[in-house]
Amino acid sequence: MTTAPLSRQQSNTPTTPLGEGEGDPLACANVSLAYTDGERTTYALRNITLDLPHGKFYGIMGPSGSGKSSLLYILSGLKMPTEGSARFGDFIYNRRRATEVAELRRTRFGFVFQQPFLLPYLTALENVVVAAPQPDTMAHDKAVQLLQEMGLGGMEHKYPAQLSGGEKQRVSVVRAMMNDPDIIFADEPTAALDHTNGRRVVDALAKWRRQGTIVVVTHDPEMLTDAEAIVYLRDGELVEIGDSPAR
Amino acid sequence: MGFVIVLCVFLICAIATLANSIDRTILTIYGYTKYFTYILPQRVTLKVPDSEVEIVRRDPRTDRVMEAGFFFTNINTIIGRLPFVVLGLTKDNREYLLERIGTEIVEGRLPAEGMPEAVLSEPIAKNKGVKVGDTISGPTDEGGISGSPVPVKLVGIVKGPVWLALTTKSFTDSTFLTMPKSVIFTTKVPEELLDLNQELMPSENKAGGKLSPQKVQLLSRQNLVKELRDSLSAMYLIMTVVNFTVIFVIALMSGMLSNIYFTQRLPEFAILAAIGYQRGRLIARVIAETFLLSLIGWGIGAVVSYVFLTYFKFAIFDNKGLMIDPLDPFAYKFTIPIPLFITLFAVATIAWRLLRFDPVTIIERR
Repeated sequence: MTTAPLSRQQSNTPTTPLGEGEGDPLACANVSLAYTDGERTTYALRNITLDLPHGKFYGIMGPSGSGKSSLLYILSGLKMPTEGSARFGDFIYNRRRATEVAELRRTRFGFVFQQPFLLPYLTALENVVVAAPQPDTMAHDKAVQLLQEMGLGGMEHKYPAQLSGGEKQRVSVVRAMMNDPDIIFADEPTAALDHTNGRRVVDALAKWRRQGTIVVVTHDPEMLTDAEAIVYLRDGELVEIGDSPAR
Repeated sequence: MGFVIVLCVFLICAIATLANSIDRTILTIYGYTKYFTYILPQRVTLKVPDSEVEIVRRDPRTDRVMEAGFFFTNINTIIGRLPFVVLGLTKDNREYLLERIGTEIVEGRLPAEGMPEAVLSEPIAKNKGVKVGDTISGPTDEGGISGSPVPVKLVGIVKGPVWLALTTKSFTDSTFLTMPKSVIFTTKVPEELLDLNQELMPSENKAGGKLSPQKVQLLSRQNLVKELRDSLSAMYLIMTVVNFTVIFVIALMSGMLSNIYFTQRLPEFAILAAIGYQRGRLIARVIAETFLLSLIGWGIGAVVSYVFLTYFKFAIFDNKGLMIDPLDPFAYKFTIPIPLFITLFAVATIAWRLLRFDPVTIIERR
């Protein structure tokens, strides 16, 4: 079993030269995800192999039921494949304990989902600090700064019920950035938003991409105008890896 | 859930307080047994044999042995009117006993020699609803044992740590000719009274002491407590079973409520698990929240119990002669398992779910 360290400070493992990125790459090899219901087995993903070098903006596209979200969950360690393996650098998820994978997510990944999933009894600021490795004064100040940069200045002490849908989703984007992640995983982050608010979220993520990798699942090509590579899936299979529609 | 805990604490506390009040009432009424012990002749004679009195008198721990006549005055209790003994003592013994118990006259005067007069402790007068000048015992008494062939007048109220009723020995000697004469005794050190009682006539083995049970009866505190506890043991057993049944049922109910509550909050736990919170930390959070809620519920329940029991005490029970203590530690101790059981049950079921749940299915379901 490999013992690649979780924290960024400890990471001195050699990076496989998969591309021009400098950080740990994200990859999966021969990944399949199957659901068994009685004697029937359904494949959400089938034999996917990907190498995603660090520091780029990746899109995952495909029709409904093509396995986009499943691939994102496997790449982020939220789900384990039934066959094959996924890894971040030398950290192979299915060879690690669940607690170690959770720690990886907490320290090195950020997440944005279709719904913001803010904790209703916490303010916007507190919701952001929830994702900080240490909820101390520094984290508090950083959260305030990030919220201001996201155009949410003055809303720090509002509760989710007092925020619009777009504002809530932007708070969830700030939460994803709070732990200075290497990668932000976004699963249909604009699907529940109108065009204007969707654009704001896209812009916020695009602005952040200089600091790390972004993996976005979407069915909206407009969201991926800045993407450097797009993974196309159909019926759980990898169709092609292409450029952004805008390129 | 918090409200359920409040109601549960109040229910258990009220049941335990009321049940314990019977014990408390009896021990309060007969509180004087902490200061002196009665010896009564067996029914073959009206007087305690001198040989038995000598045994007590010779003991170095004995402070004073006093011959006493007596009659009864009825007092109100939860189980109806009960006779309370009015001791007939000589002036010297009366003064000694009042001083020894730390009791003093606060209204009226002490009874005059040979006259049908008595003094009562303040709570007895309140219990009977009598004031100085009223009759406390007489041939027309209702219920209980008829106390006296002649009306006995209340001439004074005394105040002290225990209930006491006194008259003159000359009055009891001249009026209650067929009543047995008792002997009461005190010890130099009051704390030694129980030891002496035990040596004279052990409560568990009456024939094993220095006094002969064929000749005398010893009305000691130990005997009182033993009789009381024996007679109430069945009730306490029933109460314990009822309490634990209620606690178990409410713990189950609260656990289910807690489950519903946390099911509603599963998206919250799902997002925390997704962003990397360890399951152990989530379970610790559930334990902390549930225990805090249970503790607050218990605290409010205890306050509610105190407020209502205080009201019941003054509005209902004091007048009925039932001594309830709104701060009875026995009753509050009975409620301690409530937050513990509820936390245990709720946490066990929720922890089981949290250990097994898949955050992705919850996030996707939305």
